[in-house]
Amino acid sequence: MEVEGGNTSANDAVARKISIQSRRAKVFYQFTQQNLPACKPVLTPSWIVTTFLLMGVIFIPIGLVTLRTSHSVIEIVERYDTECIPEKFRGNKVSYIKDSTILKNCSLYLKVPKHMKAPIYIYYQLDNYYQNHRRYVKSRNDQQLLHGLKSNDTSSCQPEDSSNGLPSVPCGLIAWSLFNDTFKFIRESSELVVNRKNIAWKSDRNHKFGKQVYPFNFQNGTFIGGGSLDPSVPLSDQEDLIVWMRTAALPSFRKMYGRIEEDLDADDVIAVHLMNNYNTYSFGGKKKLVLSTSSWLGGKNDFLGVAYVFVGSSSIIISLVFMLLHVKNPR
Amino acid sequence: MLQEADIGVGISGVEGMQAVMSSDYAIAQFRFLERLLLVHGHWCYRRISMMICYFFYKNLTFGFTLFWYEAYASFSGRPAYNDWYMSCYNVFFTSLPVIALGVFDQDVSARLCLKYPLLYQEGVQNILFSWPRILGWMSNGVLSAIIIFFFTTNSIFNQAFRKDGHAVDYEVLGVAMYSSVVWAVNCQMALSINYFTWIQHFFIWGSIALWYIFLVVYGSLPPTFSTTAYKVLVEACAPSILYWLTTLLVVVSTLLPYFLYRAFQTRFRPMYHDLIQRQRLEGSETEISSQTEVSSELPAQVEIKMQHLKANLRQRNQ
Repeated sequence: MEVEGGNTSANDAVARKISIQSRRAKVFYQFTQQNLPACKPVLTPSWIVTTFLLMGVIFIPIGLVTLRTSHSVIEIVERYDTECIPEKFRGNKVSYIKDSTILKNCSLYLKVPKHMKAPIYIYYQLDNYYQNHRRYVKSRNDQQLLHGLKSNDTSSCQPEDSSNGLPSVPCGLIAWSLFNDTFKFIRESSELVVNRKNIAWKSDRNHKFGKQVYPFNFQNGTFIGGGSLDPSVPLSDQEDLIVWMRTAALPSFRKMYGRIEEDLDADDVIAVHLMNNYNTYSFGGKKKLVLSTSSWLGGKNDFLGVAYVFVGSSSIIISLVFMLLHVKNPR
Repeated sequence: MLQEADIGVGISGVEGMQAVMSSDYAIAQFRFLERLLLVHGHWCYRRISMMICYFFYKNLTFGFTLFWYEAYASFSGRPAYNDWYMSCYNVFFTSLPVIALGVFDQDVSARLCLKYPLLYQEGVQNILFSWPRILGWMSNGVLSAIIIFFFTTNSIFNQAFRKDGHAVDYEVLGVAMYSSVVWAVNCQMALSINYFTWIQHFFIWGSIALWYIFLVVYGSLPPTFSTTAYKVLVEACAPSILYWLTTLLVVVSTLLPYFLYRAFQTRFRPMYHDLIQRQRLEGSETEISSQTEVSSELPAQVEIKMQHLKANLRQRNQ
């Protein structure tokens, strides 16, 4: 390598290149010789006690806050599928529910335990209803929901893909079993306004259900599975259908029915006029009506708070036990 | 002889490469044999046994959550997670940390391996891959699955999981459980190893981050392709504080049993490499006069352990 007197910048560049290469070579050497710089923590008793104490100190307050939040949510749950059958039909519920000539209206009275702040969410809860059954979930056609009659292949929806020779939109068991109980809420002889818009997820409304797709030949077969749809309303506005088609995770689930946008005071009596149309009697299912406020955490569930407090307090107990044993048995 | 032995080591030298060609390992000089056995032999044994146990553990954790879910789906065969989540589990979200473990893990440094040759007996006596160990890891997997499944489904049950009142559905529960599984399994790896280079950190935390990135990317594909995962993290789960709190609770509760076991084991029944690590940490390096005799300057526990190992060896030789 020729070094000339005035050529210092070239020298620097070469020197830098060599140093970069030697640094890379050094790192590569460390890698191949398994000698990389490493952190080697050792589990000492002080670390153990500190970790457990820290866990307890963090978890117990979180648990208490969560429990308090869950207790601040006010929930009214009322099972209505047994009460809403008139006395004379209680012996044969299935034939009562299937008889379309009988009017299935029913009245419930709910007492508000504490002041409930708006918005109050109305859900219907179904128990022992396996919306997560594999064959049930398979029975839908997403292409048809987006594009309507233009999509040809609806084989996944069989046997609910057509009736009387014509294709059904929306096809499949999920749509066919649409929940069709309706609820009206009356407080002191004035009806509470229930907002039934925006109950479905925005992504479902905008991207999974077509704006130009209308129900066609729906619920026209010999077997009626649930509710029917207004053929003049496009699928993206049929919020009940959209909420229903987002299948639940577990056999006991709630789906949003609507929202009450005004406050309810303590000791108010709400009269609920409902139409008990949906058949859950053939398989021993249960139907419940739920009115609930919501907190920053969501609905009412004490489990998270209790679990946090339990894990936190067990950590503290474990750390104390460990400290005791460590001190008593010197090594 | 090289072919007949369990492990044949050939030395390449002036007499040609014939030994090298028929051996499992080849070294250049005879003195390298010590390093090959004591350092790399010990490391390899620990890496392989830990890797196999951990593989069983992580797949049991994942598989059993699917199994418990079936009890709630009337055993119809509906998986708890979206198909693509399940396909990518063993490929993207949990494979890299295991590779880092299998290739780079060192419980004791090379210098200390050479200094305490009795550490090699851990491999000879199959201490790290005995049936109790294997079954212990497997039951850890089953227990983790139980904790993950039941804590997640009870926390995110049928109530609203966000302030805007939306109720839980299949997508949200799937993502919540799967996130807990990925977090728990990767953090379990972080708890099990004692050697962290930038590679381990990158692989472990990177795998967890990759899961969330995958959810965002997969969720932004059109719904005809991403079906149940469409916008699930961005729209549904991420704004829900309940989801994050549940993940934290479930991950910590899942790792608690193993951490408890490890805490008591390293303090009250330490294994030979635990003792060496502790001694290195305390910096009290006592001199051992020769590699073969037991020095009286070693701490009592190390001596007892060494005698125990020697007794085992004598028993096996009889």
